[in-house]
Amino acid sequence: MASQNMDPAAAAASSTAALKGSESGGTSARGSVSKRLQQELMTLMMSGNKGISAFPESDNLFKWVGTIDGAQGTVYEGLRYRLSLEFPAGYPYQAPHVKFVTPCFHPNVDEHGFICLDILKDKWSALYDVRSILLSIQSLLGEPNNESPLNMVAAELWDDQKAFKAHLHSTFKK
Amino acid sequence: MEETVMESDSEEISESAPRQGVADAWETVTTALVSPGCPLSEQSLSDSLDLLCSQGLGPLLGTWLLETLQMHLSSYVVPEFWSGLKQPENELEERDRVWILLTTFQTLLGRLEPFLGGLEKLGTWQNEGRGGLSGPGPRGLRERAFTIIRALLLFSPSPVLQERVLEFYSRTFSVYMNQEGETEEGAEVPDGPEGGTCPGCGVPTQQCWCQEALEQLQELSHILSKLQMLEWVSSEAVTSILHKLIEQRMEQHCRGEYERSFLLEFQEWLELVLGWLNKVFASEVHTDSLVPAPSAPNNQGGQSASSILKQWRCHMHQFFCRIYVNMRIEELFSIIRDFPESKAAIEDLKFCLERTNQRQQLLTSLKSAFETRLLHPGVHTSDILTVYISAIKALRELDPSMVILQVACQPIRKYLRTRDDTVRQIVAGLTGDAEGCTDLASELSRGDPVTLEMQDSDEEGNDPEDWTPDPTDAVTDKMGSKHRSSDIISLLVSIYGSKDIFIDEYRAVLADRLLLQHNYNTAREIRNVELLKLRFGESHMHYCEVMLKDMADSRRINSNIREEESRLSEEEQPSLSLSAIILSSEFWPTLKEEKLELPPLICQAMEAYTHRYEKLKAMRTLSWKPHLGSVTLEVELEDRVLTNLSVSPIQAAIILHFQEKSSWMLEELSMKLGAPKELVHRKLAFWQQHGVLREEAGGRYYVVETGSTKEKIERGVMLIDSDEERDSNTTTQSEQREEKLQLFWAYIQAMLTNLDSMTLERIHSMLRMFVSTGPVVMEMDVNELEVFLQRKVREHQLVNSAGVYRLPKSN
Repeated sequence: MASQNMDPAAAAASSTAALKGSESGGTSARGSVSKRLQQELMTLMMSGNKGISAFPESDNLFKWVGTIDGAQGTVYEGLRYRLSLEFPAGYPYQAPHVKFVTPCFHPNVDEHGFICLDILKDKWSALYDVRSILLSIQSLLGEPNNESPLNMVAAELWDDQKAFKAHLHSTFKK
Repeated sequence: MEETVMESDSEEISESAPRQGVADAWETVTTALVSPGCPLSEQSLSDSLDLLCSQGLGPLLGTWLLETLQMHLSSYVVPEFWSGLKQPENELEERDRVWILLTTFQTLLGRLEPFLGGLEKLGTWQNEGRGGLSGPGPRGLRERAFTIIRALLLFSPSPVLQERVLEFYSRTFSVYMNQEGETEEGAEVPDGPEGGTCPGCGVPTQQCWCQEALEQLQELSHILSKLQMLEWVSSEAVTSILHKLIEQRMEQHCRGEYERSFLLEFQEWLELVLGWLNKVFASEVHTDSLVPAPSAPNNQGGQSASSILKQWRCHMHQFFCRIYVNMRIEELFSIIRDFPESKAAIEDLKFCLERTNQRQQLLTSLKSAFETRLLHPGVHTSDILTVYISAIKALRELDPSMVILQVACQPIRKYLRTRDDTVRQIVAGLTGDAEGCTDLASELSRGDPVTLEMQDSDEEGNDPEDWTPDPTDAVTDKMGSKHRSSDIISLLVSIYGSKDIFIDEYRAVLADRLLLQHNYNTAREIRNVELLKLRFGESHMHYCEVMLKDMADSRRINSNIREEESRLSEEEQPSLSLSAIILSSEFWPTLKEEKLELPPLICQAMEAYTHRYEKLKAMRTLSWKPHLGSVTLEVELEDRVLTNLSVSPIQAAIILHFQEKSSWMLEELSMKLGAPKELVHRKLAFWQQHGVLREEAGGRYYVVETGSTKEKIERGVMLIDSDEERDSNTTTQSEQREEKLQLFWAYIQAMLTNLDSMTLERIHSMLRMFVSTGPVVMEMDVNELEVFLQRKVREHQLVNSAGVYRLPKSN
């Protein structure tokens, strides 16, 4: 697991840093990250998944805006959430920083929008991409992990779906 | 000042006694002034002058003389002049009209001469200071007199004067040119002594008055210059004559004639014309030198002849250039069309255009010529391309800065972008397949090709010392002058802004060519790919190289398998010889999918081939494209044999089925082949045409075992297989385009979902930035994008309000 998350370029750079200086290595790595992100954007566009979407916020390819529609059949149906995705320079060997911009009442989301999701933390793998992140978050909405809640109120209320839904919809604001 | 003098004078006169003496003296002096022939002794004149001056009347003499001149002119001379000029109504011959013109001027001169003489005399007196006289001197007096004459005479000139002068000048011009040995080609000159007309004066030779005309010209010029009216009377006529003649001559000699340079010829001709001008204006100089101007610091009329002529020469050149440019601008489209032959015309035009300020006119005219004559649906794309190529060649001669090229050809490029077959035509041209346009192929194989640098390269190749500013009509774009290419291929390729689309198209063309031939012969394609590599760069042609390598590999694999087969025992020999072209599917363009179930016999052969291939290339297998390829077969019927038929696999499959069963229903066949009925029906027509099959009622087909050739021909006429047109095996450009638009739409939807609302420009720049540059990418300019977005708006998939686009709410 750990070896898979190692950036071979970074490893190579660190070994030759003494000789060459890491500047050039850094920029080329950034170039390859851009390429990967561009590729991911293409994949996302071509996949045609309904209910998830993301796009670079401006000309900076490292900062995206994402949109997730609550899945059908869940209490979140009909609600649309905006997210922000920031990609570190070490991407995809480091996980992106993903958080809700639209306030989200959910057991695993805190009041700042931070998300408790394993694949965004210790289970991150370079094989994941924006599409899989968004899909994971979408399914997390319908299936929260109540073992480790960030929002205790939501976790407690979750079992009463009707009350949860009422509270969710009354507090939802764009 | 004179007024005050007069007043004081009158006071003096009223006081003084010798009134009578003064009156006599006045009489004497004025008579002496205006009638030169009068017999007056020098002595009495001097006395009278002294007397007048002593009375203070000296200064009045000049005033009086001018006053008298003015009175005389307005009441008598001017009306006489005009009526004299007009008097003979119509029905007069040219010659008489000239005579009248001349006499009128002669009379005028005769009338005015006494006054002029008097002024002269008075002026001399003043200069000599006789009797205490003082004044402006002869020159000053004359100037004033001439101003008065011109003012009164030409105050309301009748058009008749200009007409006559014009006519006369034209005549003398042709006489002069004739004498100088310049025969106008337009005027026919029969040699016969009788009835022949003089090319100069246009009358029968016996009555030729050429010489007379020239003499008259001289006289008229003389008179006019004496009256200092030469410039006033002649300039207009001369200007219009020169204009007309240059125009005429140009119409006759140059229109439609692009293969010769006319500059030198006209230069010589203009020199000749200058000789005539010399005659018109020369006498002025003549008189100038006659009249001594001792004290003339302000040499007003004193432009020397050479300076006048110099001025006229400049005018003439200016006329010439302007008229020439006008004509060539009008003809520019044709000149461009004929380009390599019309090089001389382009060079002439370049020379003249530098001297006149008509670039804007040229651009406007050329643009509209393109639009009306070239850019409409009736013109074939290849013709548009041919003209465009000619235009590139011609305009880069005309304007090395390429600005004209860039601006004028903008409409062509824009229009070409809307044609579906543009790319295909260009690629065909590049590979030398197109009929008419061979230019591109030769351009491609030309030495020192320019590599296509579409992406911005920052390094400045040129010496900054060599930099020249763009002409003012240059389009200001971010490209800058260094990107204004004149290379034909790069210009064509850049129509779409991206070379990838061309490479894709070339791949498609190459794929078609390779798939249609079955002998693995790729020599020509290899040459083309090598040439294109020089243009587009190695990496872009990588796919094509793989395709060519596939062909070579296929050939090798095929011969290997053949060899293996030949080693088999007699009964194991395959029933039919199968050759395969093995494509690396990743690198070939998308091939059309068609379903086709081949007869078991062929399938077995294919399987056997696959097995052998798998043995040869471990870990690999073949996936067949049954509908591609060709089959050579021989059809044996009861009474005849058709040999060496080369048909498509489906046609072969159809006829193979008839081998086991001599009649089939269309439905049955279609089931058996797994192909749609319409297709099978069309393919059956081929065999009907060859008289092998016939259709009977109810859609049942029979083999025609015995059949006369005659019948076959009749059938052939009836049933032309529409399928015989060579279908392309690859997906078409417009399909690809649609696909790409779909991709763009996905991006646009995504950005609007996440970023809410965006302007057209923002969408455009986002697309440019983020649509990844895979092997297939299509550049789109803002206008095209706008059209596309508007379409989406009409389809209610997009909302446009206040300049921004957003997705509709419900979405």
